[in-house]
Amino acid sequence: MIKIRNLNKSFGKLKVLKNVDLYVRESEVVVIIGASGSGKSTLLRCINFLEHPQSGTVKINGQLIDKNNEQEINKMRTQVGMVFQHFNLFPHKTVLENVMEGPTQVKGIIKFEAKKLARYYLEKVDLIDKANVYPSMLSGGQKQRVAIARALAMEPSVMLFDEPTSALDPELVGEVLCVMKELAKEGMTMVIVTHEMGFAREVADRVIFMDNGMIIEEGIPDHLFDNPQNSRSQAFLSAII
Amino acid sequence: MDFIDVVIKYTPFFLPAAWMTLKITLLGIAFGMLIGLGTALTRISNNFLLANVSRLYIFLIRGTPLLLQLFFFFYVLRQSLGLEAFSAAYLALAIHNGAYIAEIFRGTIQSIDRGQMEAARSIGMTSSQAMRRIILPQAFKRSIPPLGNQFIIALKDSSLASAITISEVLLQAQRLAAANYKMLEMLTIAAVFYLFYTSIFTWLVSWTEKRLDVDSDKQRGLV
Repeated sequence: MIKIRNLNKSFGKLKVLKNVDLYVRESEVVVIIGASGSGKSTLLRCINFLEHPQSGTVKINGQLIDKNNEQEINKMRTQVGMVFQHFNLFPHKTVLENVMEGPTQVKGIIKFEAKKLARYYLEKVDLIDKANVYPSMLSGGQKQRVAIARALAMEPSVMLFDEPTSALDPELVGEVLCVMKELAKEGMTMVIVTHEMGFAREVADRVIFMDNGMIIEEGIPDHLFDNPQNSRSQAFLSAII
Repeated sequence: MDFIDVVIKYTPFFLPAAWMTLKITLLGIAFGMLIGLGTALTRISNNFLLANVSRLYIFLIRGTPLLLQLFFFFYVLRQSLGLEAFSAAYLALAIHNGAYIAEIFRGTIQSIDRGQMEAARSIGMTSSQAMRRIILPQAFKRSIPPLGNQFIIALKDSSLASAITISEVLLQAQRLAAANYKMLEMLTIAAVFYLFYTSIFTWLVSWTEKRLDVDSDKQRGLV
């Protein structure tokens, strides 16, 4: 589903990703953990080319993405949904319009059909009653659920989550994780950057630990959390659990 | 009482001039907005050539007096392009204001959170779609207070067109005073016309601002 080889990314002189390889199979839930600055968000953002890597290849659904081909990237992005830490809802559009925006503008679906589609996904994140309000009226948890619905409305084959609960009040984290668990259960392929270790343990098929721009260790959650092999993952995990 | 009588008597003589002031101001603003938007977009585009052309335009216009620009249009371009004095006046005003409006738009476009562009691109929008549908509507709303400011400046700056024979409010005041020796009264009438226009502009700006306010009751779903 996702095949990344030899990815290198630097911001100026700072090397953020060093020869990273990443494979994600269909219906797999991969959670990336690591200290801040370890490159995990950058890796996620390189998958849909919000960051352009200096070298390396990204294959999505078997297709090698040419980083200089805008059209190809736009097309790929319709298959790769992304959820951001700060939601990034469009404040001048209602909840329903936020979700309809992609289907109507990018896929050219007619308004009537797009509305049905948007309502279906708002139902799914349990926010159909907020369809006609503006994002400024919503709590953080609700905003993030709308953002998930907006991404899902493009009917992507992969979903990327970039610290989806990091900007939320603690009591609102649960509702967002709940939606994500539901998605995982339905077989959505997901790559998640998070600090929610309990969630990672419960939902992930595989956990990846990153440090200093490299993948240091990976494995099934129970192994990685209970019995980390690398000294840096040991230090990281003992610091947060 | 004499003062008031003179003012009342001469006010009607100002009406054609007041209309002229309004015309060149509105045309200057309207074309200035188009030029400003175009310049702002090219200034922040990735096209090196266009971005630098925009930068040069802003540099030249902001760095020289409006009066000089009016003279340039009137004495130089009017001949070679066959313009009327009227066209020279509003075109000079449009190009002058365009440079300032470009900087207003550039500032507000760049003030929109980067995440908005990223979110739009992440659902597959092209950069121009994202600009048109997501960034510009938000940036435009933020532009209204500084634009209102610029419109009022443009209105008052239109008085400089008197120097290129445009019979607007200030030139009319001077001409009448030259004949009737009532400079105080004529300047008072002119001032009242400017204040009248700026009041309307101010009111229009705050009305638009309220209408577009995302945090208003309407948009919160309370109405």
